[in-house]
Amino acid sequence: MAELQYESALKGREASGLSIRLREIAERGMIDLRGFASDRKFMNAAKEILGVDLPKQPRTSNTWGEMRAFWLSTDQWLIICPRSKMAELLTALRKRLQGIHALAVDVSDMRSVLRLEGDGAREVLLKGCSLDLLSDEYSPGTVRRMRFAEIAALLHVVEEDMFDVYVFRSYAEYAWDFICATARPEAELRLFGKQDLAAS
Amino acid sequence: MLIVHCPVCGAEGDETDFHAAGEAHIRRPATLDPEHISDEQQRDYLFMRRNPKGLHFERWRCDRGCGKWFHAARDTATMEFKAFYLATELPPRELMEQATGEWVTFFKDKLKAAKTK
Amino acid sequence: MTSKPYRLGESFGHAIDRSRRVNFSFDGKQMPGYAGDTLASAVMANGQRVFGRSFKYHRPRGVVGLGSEEMNALVGVGEGSRHEPNLRATQVELHDGLVAVSQNRWPSLSFDIGSINNTLSRFFPGGFYYKTFMWPQKFWMSVYEPFIRRAAGLGKAPDGCDPDTYEHIHAHCDVLVVGGGVAGLAAAEAAAASGARVIICDENPQFGGWADIADGTIDGVAQSEWAQAKVQRLSEAENVHVLSRTTCVGHWQHNSLILFERVADHDPALLARGTPRHRLWKVRARQVILATGSIERPIAFANNDRPGIMLAGAARAFLTRYGVAPGSSGLVFTNNDDAYQTALALKQAGIQVRVVDSRSHVDSQLPTTARKAGIEIMAGSAIAAVESSFGGLDVTGVKVAPYRKGSGRVITETRIECDFIAMSGGFNPALHIWCHTGGKIRFDEALQSFRPDTHHDRIAAVGAANGTLALGGALNEAYAVGEAAGKAALPKSKAARPKVPKALQEVQQALESLWFSPATGKYNEGNKHFIDFQNDVTAADLELAQREGYESVEHTKRYTTFGMATDQGKTSNLNGLGVLAEATGKTIPQIGITTFRPPYTPFSFGSVAGPMTRQLFLPIRRTPIYEWHKSQAAQFEPIGQWRRAYTYPKPAEEKQASIAREILAVRNSVGLLDASTLGKIEIKGPDAAALLDRVYSNMFSTLKIGRCRYGLMMNELGFLIDDGVTVRLGEDHFLMHTTSGGADRVSAWLEEWLQTEWTDYKVFVTPVTEQWAQFAIAGPKARDVLRRLDPDFELSNEAFPHLSMKEGHLGRYPVRVFRISFSGELSYEVAVPANLGRGLWDEILTAGQDFGITVYGTEALHVLRAEKGYIVIGDETDGTVTPVDVGLDGLVSKKKSDFIGKRSLEQSFLKRTDRKQLVGLLTEDPSEVLPDGAYAVQEVKDKPPMEMIGQVTSSYFSPTLQRSIAMALIQSGRARMGETLSFPLDGKVVKAKIVDQVFYDKEGAQLNG
Repeated sequence: MAELQYESALKGREASGLSIRLREIAERGMIDLRGFASDRKFMNAAKEILGVDLPKQPRTSNTWGEMRAFWLSTDQWLIICPRSKMAELLTALRKRLQGIHALAVDVSDMRSVLRLEGDGAREVLLKGCSLDLLSDEYSPGTVRRMRFAEIAALLHVVEEDMFDVYVFRSYAEYAWDFICATARPEAELRLFGKQDLAAS
Repeated sequence: MLIVHCPVCGAEGDETDFHAAGEAHIRRPATLDPEHISDEQQRDYLFMRRNPKGLHFERWRCDRGCGKWFHAARDTATMEFKAFYLATELPPRELMEQATGEWVTFFKDKLKAAKTK
Repeated sequence: MTSKPYRLGESFGHAIDRSRRVNFSFDGKQMPGYAGDTLASAVMANGQRVFGRSFKYHRPRGVVGLGSEEMNALVGVGEGSRHEPNLRATQVELHDGLVAVSQNRWPSLSFDIGSINNTLSRFFPGGFYYKTFMWPQKFWMSVYEPFIRRAAGLGKAPDGCDPDTYEHIHAHCDVLVVGGGVAGLAAAEAAAASGARVIICDENPQFGGWADIADGTIDGVAQSEWAQAKVQRLSEAENVHVLSRTTCVGHWQHNSLILFERVADHDPALLARGTPRHRLWKVRARQVILATGSIERPIAFANNDRPGIMLAGAARAFLTRYGVAPGSSGLVFTNNDDAYQTALALKQAGIQVRVVDSRSHVDSQLPTTARKAGIEIMAGSAIAAVESSFGGLDVTGVKVAPYRKGSGRVITETRIECDFIAMSGGFNPALHIWCHTGGKIRFDEALQSFRPDTHHDRIAAVGAANGTLALGGALNEAYAVGEAAGKAALPKSKAARPKVPKALQEVQQALESLWFSPATGKYNEGNKHFIDFQNDVTAADLELAQREGYESVEHTKRYTTFGMATDQGKTSNLNGLGVLAEATGKTIPQIGITTFRPPYTPFSFGSVAGPMTRQLFLPIRRTPIYEWHKSQAAQFEPIGQWRRAYTYPKPAEEKQASIAREILAVRNSVGLLDASTLGKIEIKGPDAAALLDRVYSNMFSTLKIGRCRYGLMMNELGFLIDDGVTVRLGEDHFLMHTTSGGADRVSAWLEEWLQTEWTDYKVFVTPVTEQWAQFAIAGPKARDVLRRLDPDFELSNEAFPHLSMKEGHLGRYPVRVFRISFSGELSYEVAVPANLGRGLWDEILTAGQDFGITVYGTEALHVLRAEKGYIVIGDETDGTVTPVDVGLDGLVSKKKSDFIGKRSLEQSFLKRTDRKQLVGLLTEDPSEVLPDGAYAVQEVKDKPPMEMIGQVTSSYFSPTLQRSIAMALIQSGRARMGETLSFPLDGKVVKAKIVDQVFYDKEGAQLNG
């Protein structure tokens, strides 16, 4: 039987001619995991399957190997893994979580991931979101759900100058167009630090 | 633009990242006793709302964040938030004492109960 | 008048670069100017004073102010689609090729027909509009409104689509300093010293405010030199963002502010390159410091609006900054010391000047210096009249009379020749931003103006904005407030506080209020004491409003229009209050002040829209099959933010024909629908069934695993809000389907009940709408198509009956298949992970080829369901419709003790039998399709009103039945079965019979086949 062809919303597109690097990260597996952080049985079971603790601090993430776990709420995490490992992981989680109040759902296709890279990516994001992205609060590893342009999104600070924006699949084109419009080199700017004073 | 603080996840953000849902501390009569609800009780539950100038108690949701509902005490004249507290909690004691108008009767027995504890 | 040399020598005009000549045009006339000029200074340098005509009287008007307070010289700038009306000429930076036009004049500036309003002005008193356009009512549409529309509004709209780009940006800072004059720069320096993040903005291209036209030194250097050094330092600091050409237009709750940055207006090369024209900054500041300065007051004397009469500070700035002489012989009219600096500057430029001072004794330092310089000072005097050339285009002289406060009549007067007047009635702190969210203000006797008092937000005012006009005081205040703001942001900062510099400035003598300068003769003998220049409101208008009983200042404002429009009271407010106070014998605080509202100055629509134009105007949601729909030339319709295919016309096929073709394919063979937009929510937990029993009107705890059930959702009022099929995946696990628009709303609604009402329920709710692509395969051949897709589950009616579900594979594809139907035919809904959606879609099309599988759109879907009498939430319901109203009483459980909406359904008014009820309609003429929303009436009359008894909710031509069908909500509809109703439409009455709303396959034979 031939391999199934997964087709992401933007087919792994990469933009050119912008002030930052922009591309879609396709081929990711994602699991929405629900359970109470206060439920020790649940937390232990999750750790047993995942190999690491689920992050308990709001708006943080854990990264290990090819895997990540994002804190989404006091009872919700998003597990990121390679697409090829998703089914196996989901089955293992469901099996181990039997008898525990929990819910694990495959949501690999539900969101599209747009990656912004480069010096100035924070400023590009600030054209669409109202978070205080220039503060220390948004250091690598931070995860936050937010309103981006006019849609719901999830921001993951991957590295100092690398950001993944997760949007619902149906909005992928809109989010892409919005970032392309705001990341034009002609509109580039930096906040704080040295500025050119207006010429007289 | 109000700046709202979620007491569950600690996120702070614009009111557009949150959802305001009106008055707090409304009890649903049908949950308590579905068989005996007078028309007046049902009317009050559905329609009668407090509209104070000054301290008010509201329900909000961390809509674009952790998704949790919570309570806020806000001054409707200055728009200042006085406290954020959990959806299952009563306001801080001093705010219950400061409440005016119809809120006074609402908090009266709650304050009494807190005292006897 | 043009022959006079208005441009002064090189020692004047530090802001212009005489080596860079710039050519521009004003009203079609080519003129030269210099880089650094404003449109106002360049036009004046060319000897032209008139910039426009006033709003009501069409009086010629020239420049009065210096910057954003300018109320007369409003011009249109740019051509075609780049034209922008109502810009203040004092703020328009000159560039090569700039095209500007004056406004509100016809046919020309120097001769204007509308100025007849001026001659007839005794018939245009305050409140004219209210008094005139009253009756008869029939005149309103035909006479009054066209007249007002022609007369109203200034400037003209651009005539094409805006070619430029605009953007928004969000910024957080510890301290936002609004205004980059000396006080603002000092506050920013002090705040930034702690390491706090500081944004400082100024609406001008240059920082410094009045530094270059004010006397006094800071640490031994001229104020402007000090300011330039400071702004340079700030622009290099890591923690400071400096924004020039940026106006703070408003302050909202919790220190959210909007700054309007004009990024590229001053340089066409930037625009050509694609630089955003304007940028809107949405700033959240922990602390706001207002250093917005003050606005000079005009004085209300007779005909104080003639071109050539300007504010004293503005006259000084034109001279110093741009090297432009306001005229050749001037008069300074003042009630304070500051204006003496203007007199001295004029004298220094070799321009003849006299001072008329309303104060009887002037012997402080500045007047003394002026006297020593040979300037004649007429103390205790005021201007009683202005003489002007024909048409009021130019000042030719004034009459000066002795002035004593409170004495209203002029007895003797002296004539003085002059061709311009510089006036100063004192200074008003710019309070606008302070007041936008309700900051308190108080009247200050020394200023004779209002100043900031208390504010509930973290905001402070410094310098002239706080009423602290003296340099030393302003510096002390600014450093102290700036330091406190920085400390509040970073309490642990150990940075050294900057040293407060030493200021040296002449001490000024107190001003004396001067709200009204009496005229020779009476008000209406051609004398107008303008208070609000922009709206043509005079002192007489305000007094008249008082006499007519408009005692509240807010009423006076609306009645006379004083302080409205772009001026927002900047120059008019205090003078108006002063006149009202004197007229009523009250004090100004007793009169009160009108409300300041954002924006401080107008800002562009483009900046408000930002990037949200064209394809970004609204977010559009696309299903995984969107590209395929497009490739088939589908017509789309919006369902919420989704774009769904409405129908797929073949080349040369009419829309109606393609819809009919799609419907008949489903009824006779098989159709395929992209139903991916359907809301999907996973619900799991020991109390999942209990939750569903609470939120649906019918029972779900009895549903068997693997089976589906249609559910109705009400709100607490008993009204329908959503419907859909829910599937039981496991003992404690359900999958809920919602309407396409309802998924987010419903999952939030479930969370709300779980978190706030049934907090002990153990249930998780996870929306998964977009994880799945979902397709309906519907029609008698649906099973055959499915079979060809190689299912690993049985398809027989027994193994896979109606309202059941299978999880398995179709060939390689992992799927969930639901046997549910919205068309009334044998129908399977196939759900597959979204990224596999397109692949499976293509395979279904291939598998269905032999059966003539036809892709159908949302319109066919709607006709199919209407033929079966199925409701659509939002069509058959409008938020006031109960399950009983639509005939679904059977789905309202009698067994459950509680579910949302249950108690409300028992209210007497929802149990009335004369409520509107859902029925079917068959028109007498089967080809006549009733329009959606058509009203049924009790009795047809010649003309309205007619008693309405209900309305059509869905109406289609049914290709299956070859006739029109409709559903309607009709009063007591079910009791009227068989009755014929009348629907009066434009020019005809359509008759239709009430029938059962199920038009097709009442027994459900197709469905269960």
